[in-house]
Amino acid sequence: MSLAREALHPHRVEDVADIVRDAVGGLRIRGAGSWMHVGAPVVAAHELRLDAFRGVRHYTPGDLTISVGAGTTLAEIDAATAAHGQWCPLLPWGDDRGSVGAAIATATGGPFAEALGRPRDLVLGLECVDGRGRIVRAGGRVVKNVAGFDLTRLMVGSWGTLAVITEVHLRLRARPSADVTLLVEGATTTAMRAFQHGALPPLAALPLGEATARTLGHPGPGAWLLRLGGNAPQVAAARQALARIGACIELGARSWDVVRHDQAPPPATHWTWTPLMKRVREAFDPRGVLNPGLLGEAA
Amino acid sequence: MAGAALRVESLAADLGAIVGARHVLTRHSTLLAYESDALPGYHKRPRLAVFPGTQEELVSVVRRLAADGVPFVARGAGTGLSGGALADDTVLIGVQRLRRIINIDADARTATVEPGVVNATLTRAAAAFHLHYAPDPSSQAACTLGGNVAENAGGPHCLKYGVTLNHVLRATVVLPDGELVTLDRGDHGGYDLLGAFVGSEGCFGIAVELTLKLTPNPEAIITMLADFTSVAEAADATSRIIAAGIVPAALELMDQATIRAVEESVYAAGYPVDAAAVLLIEVDGPRAGLDADADAVTAICSAAGARDVKRATDAAARERLWQGRKKAFGAMGRVAPHLVVQDAVVPRTQLAELLGDIASIGARHGVRVCNVFHAGDGNLHPNIPYDADDADESARVHAAMQEIMERCIAAGGTITGEHGVGLDKLPYMERLFTADTLDAMCTLRETFDPARRANPGKVVPLRSCREWQGLPALRGGLAG
Ligand SMILES: Cc1cc2nc3c(=O)[nH]c(=O)nc-3n(C[C@H](O)[C@H](O)[C@@H](O)COP(=O)(O)OP(=O)(O)OC[C@H]3O[C@@H](n4cnc5c(N)ncnc54)[C@H](O)[C@@H]3O)c2cc1C
Ligand SMILES: Cc1cc2nc3c(=O)[nH]c(=O)nc-3n(C[C@H](O)[C@H](O)[C@H](O)COP(=O)(O)OP(=O)(O)OC[C@H]3O[C@@H](n4cnc5c(N)ncnc54)[C@H](O)[C@@H]3O)c2cc1C
Repeated sequence: MSLAREALHPHRVEDVADIVRDAVGGLRIRGAGSWMHVGAPVVAAHELRLDAFRGVRHYTPGDLTISVGAGTTLAEIDAATAAHGQWCPLLPWGDDRGSVGAAIATATGGPFAEALGRPRDLVLGLECVDGRGRIVRAGGRVVKNVAGFDLTRLMVGSWGTLAVITEVHLRLRARPSADVTLLVEGATTTAMRAFQHGALPPLAALPLGEATARTLGHPGPGAWLLRLGGNAPQVAAARQALARIGACIELGARSWDVVRHDQAPPPATHWTWTPLMKRVREAFDPRGVLNPGLLGEAA
Repeated sequence: MAGAALRVESLAADLGAIVGARHVLTRHSTLLAYESDALPGYHKRPRLAVFPGTQEELVSVVRRLAADGVPFVARGAGTGLSGGALADDTVLIGVQRLRRIINIDADARTATVEPGVVNATLTRAAAAFHLHYAPDPSSQAACTLGGNVAENAGGPHCLKYGVTLNHVLRATVVLPDGELVTLDRGDHGGYDLLGAFVGSEGCFGIAVELTLKLTPNPEAIITMLADFTSVAEAADATSRIIAAGIVPAALELMDQATIRAVEESVYAAGYPVDAAAVLLIEVDGPRAGLDADADAVTAICSAAGARDVKRATDAAARERLWQGRKKAFGAMGRVAPHLVVQDAVVPRTQLAELLGDIASIGARHGVRVCNVFHAGDGNLHPNIPYDADDADESARVHAAMQEIMERCIAAGGTITGEHGVGLDKLPYMERLFTADTLDAMCTLRETFDPARRANPGKVVPLRSCREWQGLPALRGGLAG
């Protein structure tokens, strides 16, 4: 696309609301901008940059919840919470330079999603501006909340086609006291699946392609990367069980960053629109100003 | 259109042709049984009640009502605690006859069920495969899975395993206009309309089929009872356990008023009656490392001031400890004829201070507040046994509850963690949410139910919906 885009750079949610209300020609929402090529081409007159919505807004470590601006990077959240022995275990495919707003808007999972939760499980609430320019504050900072209809879940994975996310409230977890990353070689897939569904499930288990295994310095065929977490006796028992099904080599937790980055991005997102989905899109963004065309809704 | 003067007799005849005449009730006296749920104080009588026996019948019933624009309210077991299942002079659709477990897939760890299946029934059926359905409301022996999904129900074990939302994989829903849709989590491209439906309190349509996640039974379980001389210490222990990275399967707090009510009842569980509070703590999971977790919990409780931390040594002892907790509401029912069960959530670190404030609010209004709640989630249940026929006491209970809820909102909390808004919490919605947010909730509802015929008048106050202002008030009644 060669459309010249004027960048808009608001600092306050009220400004976002004004921009959406006044928008002519569509808005392309941008977080950290690392994943803008995914989806169908967006034709929009303006880019709406959210990097000013940055930083921790509320964090009481004892509550294991955190509120951050949507433009805050996952790396920044990690740094803020690590100091208290906590983490936001989103750890999506790609890396931690992306913004949390985008991780939520795209519902990006990662290797830990099964054990530690997906965006829909970890988001407690959010603030956003919908396509009508309404400032919506859904959910909250508490871990259980059924007051009213669940606009939070609606926004998770909506790819910025219903609203611009400006702030998110997340559930944190304590980092496990024992946390070991192992490369397992020579185990059969059946044995690994059985281990995954057994009494000592890992935080993540990923079969590695040869190239990725080589990046990690272990070109063994059919290697798996495993992360065990829990208390010390648990992790020790899991290691023992694993040693019986394959050869285990201990690697650093950083290996996951390599693997997450190496993951081939999924193909462009085109949705099959059901009538109900169309009604939702039209109801929240009647003028079609937010990320127009991204999900193939125009087709 | 909606609520047009329609003769009840002709509607009843049509519905009777679908479900069988004996499954349609129109007589005043027989409808009395459906004029309230488990929350005292609200009475709304349906004009007609219909009980379909198959999914197809349910869909036909909804289509028949859609043809005339008649509003309706779904009802499961009627154990709701927010007045959500009450139908005011309109049609009540009871789903409790739809209680088939359609399929249990042990390998995939899923179950597909009809909405009227009772929560505990599913867990019993899954037991053969060493699986269970994790969300376990204290009403699990009676409440339906459809009602659980509609309320996004929680329970003691939801601290570790997550609430209903986290266990629903798919739902087939009949929308109020009769359209049948399948909702999923949007994992394969699409909005998470399932997530939006869970907790929608019957305002988006009726779930006719649910696919639910089953959870493997843990290898081992250790249940403990910690005994404290102050509520603040018990609350403090709660925060410390969670912050230490231990996620108990359950972490329930009962205060002295609750302990006494339980111990004076047939559900006596052997709780120490002189304790100011007890914590019922359960850790579960792989056998390896479980003792280490239990030891850590014991040490944390002792450091927070516990007099004693007991472990249940066998299944019978464990059952007994749980019985007191699960029957606590029932036990309070013996203290007075009526019971208000409240439901609010606050940030965990504020529990101690809030419990102190709740005690003084209760004292100031001369009412007896019993606290029994999911402490690990910060999900409070301040309950007040009282006599609803005593106008003065009722007024004092009402005033105390209102102050308690306001205090929870001020603490950054919310007005319901699992029971829903229903009718009961409507007045708090405008205090909790901005006009824009409530309006957006109305928008979401209208995508499912443009004519607002499903469970009218619940969850979001009508005046909060901008597009509905100015329209004549929705009339839910039937003529004749
Ligand atoms: C190499 C690589 C591989 C990846 N692989 C995968 C993968 O396999 N699967 C996967 O799911 N993800 C993948 N991701 C995505 C990534 O992990 C996250 O989605 C996210 O952190 C990107 O952040 P960002 O701020 O750079 O996003 P951006 O590039 O800024 O935005 C991504 C999308 O989200 C929208 N968006 C951004 N911010 C908001 C907001 N505040 N409100 C509403 N909409 C918004 C944008 O319009 C855009 O469509 C990958 C990323 C990289 C770099
Ligand atoms: C002693 C006691 C203890 C309780 N403990 C807990 C607890 O620990 N946790 C908890 O969360 N709740 C608890 N509750 C509250 C109640 O049991 C739950 O809210 C439960 O989910 C209601 O289920 P039900 O089948 O009785 O629904 P009902 O009361 O019949 O209906 C509740 C709502 O669901 C809607 N509904 C019902 N079926 C459907 C359907 N198929 N499709 C769409 N909407 C439908 C109704 O319209 C209504 O709005 C307790 C109640 C009691 C009496």
